[in-house]
Amino acid sequence: MLLKSTRNEFIKIAAKPRSYLGLVAVTILVGVILFALKADGMSFISFVTASFEQTLSFEGNILNGNLVAFIVLQMLVIHIPLLVALVTGDLVSGEAAMGTIRMLATKPISRTQLLLSKFLAGGVYTLLIVVWLGLMAVVVGKLLFGSGDLMVLNSDGLVILQEADINWRYIGGFAVAFLAMLTVSSLSITLSCFSENSIGPIVTTMAIITLFIIIGTLDVSIFDSIRPFLFTTHMAAWRSFFEDPLPKDDIIRSVVILLAHNVVLVLVALYTFNKKDITS
Amino acid sequence: MRILLLKIMLICAMPLNMLAQDASPAIDGLLAKMNSVQDYSVQALITSDIPMVKILPSNATIYFKQKDKFKIDSKGIAILPKQGFTDIAKMLEDKESYTAMMMGTETIGSTKADIVSIFPISDTSDLVLAKLWIDTARDVVMKSQITTRSSGTVSIVYSYGNQVKWGLPDKMIFTVDVKKFKIPKGVATDINKTRTPDPNKPASKTGEVKIELSNYKVNLGIKDQVFSKK
Repeated sequence: MLLKSTRNEFIKIAAKPRSYLGLVAVTILVGVILFALKADGMSFISFVTASFEQTLSFEGNILNGNLVAFIVLQMLVIHIPLLVALVTGDLVSGEAAMGTIRMLATKPISRTQLLLSKFLAGGVYTLLIVVWLGLMAVVVGKLLFGSGDLMVLNSDGLVILQEADINWRYIGGFAVAFLAMLTVSSLSITLSCFSENSIGPIVTTMAIITLFIIIGTLDVSIFDSIRPFLFTTHMAAWRSFFEDPLPKDDIIRSVVILLAHNVVLVLVALYTFNKKDITS
Repeated sequence: MRILLLKIMLICAMPLNMLAQDASPAIDGLLAKMNSVQDYSVQALITSDIPMVKILPSNATIYFKQKDKFKIDSKGIAILPKQGFTDIAKMLEDKESYTAMMMGTETIGSTKADIVSIFPISDTSDLVLAKLWIDTARDVVMKSQITTRSSGTVSIVYSYGNQVKWGLPDKMIFTVDVKKFKIPKGVATDINKTRTPDPNKPASKTGEVKIELSNYKVNLGIKDQVFSKK
């Protein structure tokens, strides 16, 4: 029953034109970035390596598909939540606004299963967006720029990873990026349970993300104790896969915190939805 | 009195003149050996130990052709010091641009080397000072220390093997200044950064690049296209 309901929910997502906005937006954004890097990528690289290049010279194909994919991910992963929330924030409240949630609740499926199917369908949609982003960034990036070693700039310095050592890092990075986006999806669906209109949960999700990012980047000691527990702090945890040596503890901590957020959000949503007096 | 002053001036000036003259045979011998190599290609294993840069050893092929054609062909990314391969030859060739002085001798390993200092004549020259430790018996540079305005100080220690007859080293160890390295803020966006760098950790001021050279092909001819290919 849960799987059937999930399939139905996904069909509903697929039927909405706004669901394709995310895919189109990712395609256009990645296309623009790839075009810009193809036209003048070396000056971008020079800006990054300028202080090193006074003394050292970098030989080999630096501006390759791996670096391009990394730049694309770095630029977009922070902005993808809007595209996710645009669809998932509407899953419950949209039906409440249209009045179809009441009819759904009369079906021979428990409210828990009904809501879980919405979470699952939201998760599948989020996965699609992340996979599409990955395909556009890594596959198209490599097709246009070729392959090669990856040069990553962290706040600690430059890390150069060999070509043979990169693919598994992208897979791991995308898995963590998906978990981060899944948290955004869970947050927006949970907020959707409290609302009866579509815009509210979407805007609130983005407001929360913006607030948390500001708290995370503000270098004020008062936030030091809460910063490690904000899910936005771990939204860029995918970057940890591109460090050497691999900071396993940091990655595990990020995964645990993101999973904990998902579990708590799903529980809050289930409690709210089960107790909700559906009058629309 | 005049004669006495003249004698004192001559005595003071003589060592400098003599030293400057003494440096010429060492430099001429070195240049003759360098110029005996018309071209070469060599396999290089590059190992870098530079603060703020993490990179595994990489392989590259180095091509050189007189006078100043130089290319490094690397499948992956390789980091090399900007100075070091052709700079000494280029610098010594233009004899009008510098003054060379013999500064004594030093034993490097078991080899006695003459120390030659090179001072640029022009005030605007990028070169500030160069010191060469020259093994005059074999006409090779054992060690060099070149200070330029653009790149700071780069020291190179050379080891020679079976290509010493051409003056080509088997191993070069570069020591470079890293004081100038700065990470541009805003580009390194670690928004998930929950760790802070250890302030008690001493920041290293120099980095080291070791290049092991093997499989030399000397004076076999290299096409010009090799240097123009991207």
